[in-house]
Amino acid sequence: MGASKRQLAMVMDLNKCIGCQTCTIACKRLWTRDEGMEYMWWNTVNTQPGLGTPKNWEKMGGGFKDGIAQPGQLPTKTDFGDAWKYNHEEVFYGGKGTKAHLEIQGEAPTWGPNWDEDQGGGTYPNSYFFYLPRICNHCTNPACVAACPRKAIEKREADGIVLINEDRCRGYRFCMEACPYKKIYFNHEAGVSQKCIFCFPRIEQGVANACARQCPGRVRFVGYLDDENAAVHKLVHKWKVALPLHPEYGTQPNVYYVPPIGPAGFDETGDVDPSKPRIPNEYLVHLFGPDVLPVLEIVKAEMQKTREGQKSELMDILIAYKWKDMFGGFDRDPAEIEWEKGVLDRS
Amino acid sequence: MRAVYEVGAKVEDLLDPRAAAWNAAKSEVVKLVGTPIGLQPTALIRNSWMNKKIGQIAQVRVAAIHNGESLAFHLEWADATENRTNGDNSVFPDAAAILLPVGDAKKVPIMTMGAPDAAVNAWYWRANQNEVGREVVAEGIGTSRTVDQELVKVNGVWEKGIWRVVIARAFKVESKDPLAQLASGQMTGFGVAVWEGNSGERGGIKAFSGDWLPLEIAAQ
Repeated sequence: MGASKRQLAMVMDLNKCIGCQTCTIACKRLWTRDEGMEYMWWNTVNTQPGLGTPKNWEKMGGGFKDGIAQPGQLPTKTDFGDAWKYNHEEVFYGGKGTKAHLEIQGEAPTWGPNWDEDQGGGTYPNSYFFYLPRICNHCTNPACVAACPRKAIEKREADGIVLINEDRCRGYRFCMEACPYKKIYFNHEAGVSQKCIFCFPRIEQGVANACARQCPGRVRFVGYLDDENAAVHKLVHKWKVALPLHPEYGTQPNVYYVPPIGPAGFDETGDVDPSKPRIPNEYLVHLFGPDVLPVLEIVKAEMQKTREGQKSELMDILIAYKWKDMFGGFDRDPAEIEWEKGVLDRS
Repeated sequence: MRAVYEVGAKVEDLLDPRAAAWNAAKSEVVKLVGTPIGLQPTALIRNSWMNKKIGQIAQVRVAAIHNGESLAFHLEWADATENRTNGDNSVFPDAAAILLPVGDAKKVPIMTMGAPDAAVNAWYWRANQNEVGREVVAEGIGTSRTVDQELVKVNGVWEKGIWRVVIARAFKVESKDPLAQLASGQMTGFGVAVWEGNSGERGGIKAFSGDWLPLEIAAQ
């Protein structure tokens, strides 16, 4: 497999994410409504620090170490937080009025896709948390592609999007073991593995990903990494303030994060101590590698410039004054396009 | 192994693994071994299975009957767990297949699942689609593809720790793909593979019968 000629990328500014899950729902509504997809959330937003989705995914292995493929654990439906079943029929059509309430049916769940929301870490008054949205990273060195014995996963040459070919896939799930980010799901109805498709049918029409367009916080930038006019290029390559999650996993993700600055900590007398960040540097290094420390300094310095009334290109990009500037040219309005029906219709 | 000729035997009857014809048919035990780790097609699979046992099913009892037009295999093996689903993601459905060379067995390498222009043809059954047999073609490791889901007739029954599975197909089939074409009186080779889904066996992780075994399709 040759390297892709160009690479699409996404940058998510974690300083702006409010954990509202609009991205999650935008994705769900668009792509994962079929039978067998009930437990799938191609886009997740989890509170950090936390165990995430699937539960404890950071300890499930996969990826590469010194270029060698690492065995990984197969995440179960329970780990992902299976789709809970409710008594919808009874509540909406049972004629019981206010006497019936939505209740989970069957065994009480012990995990869900956003189970540890807002728990975070630290000790009062220095407790802290932030939100981490995740999709498939459309890696440059995708562990899923390398693991599949059926060559069913393709990294597209033209734009670097990684797609599972459902006609080739036989549901062996080696990709799920190999992906260190655990962003691949198994569809028990279709018998194939499925994951985020980077909204390729939209991208091909010049429309940014649903998760990016729907984001109320203007968190997500989209574009080609080599497009010097694209915000993603400026953030990753020019300003170098966007980093991949867990670079040590060895897959070279193409989703990048502007790390969260977080508030200042409190000292023992209860006063604010600007020298002590509330989010421990060690934790950010754990997530984004040692490069996160200079990144934090750059972002802070640019913030300071604006406080002093100076102009900062970086802050202008991150604030995203012009919404369309976030999308690297993928700024067409999907409502103006006549869409072919059944882009992903497997029937 | 001899596929006996039974005048007027109906495939739909033979598809019942407990049919009387199978009780009467002469069967033989075929020893199975795990596929070699070095032949697994990707590094992830090799690294994951390096220290794990491949090939949980050590032997399978095989019988074969033909009616002059179709050939049916009866496979029987011990498996304590009946896996008909993918469970909670971490188990796999049990499966079995008959492998046939396309053309002269001597010219088709079985260990590599065929080679370019030397195809192997698998008749494949998987417990989660008990009545859907797959006609699979491969021309080398990692190249297997399903070319048809109607020609191969299958049915499996699990009872008290024993799988009994029948896999059948017409001697001759029309296809643009390289498939085994059979006839009464023919001498060819065959192989058997069994996957134990509860142990994570799927794809190339399976128990198989090694080199081509002789298959004589009795003359009419």
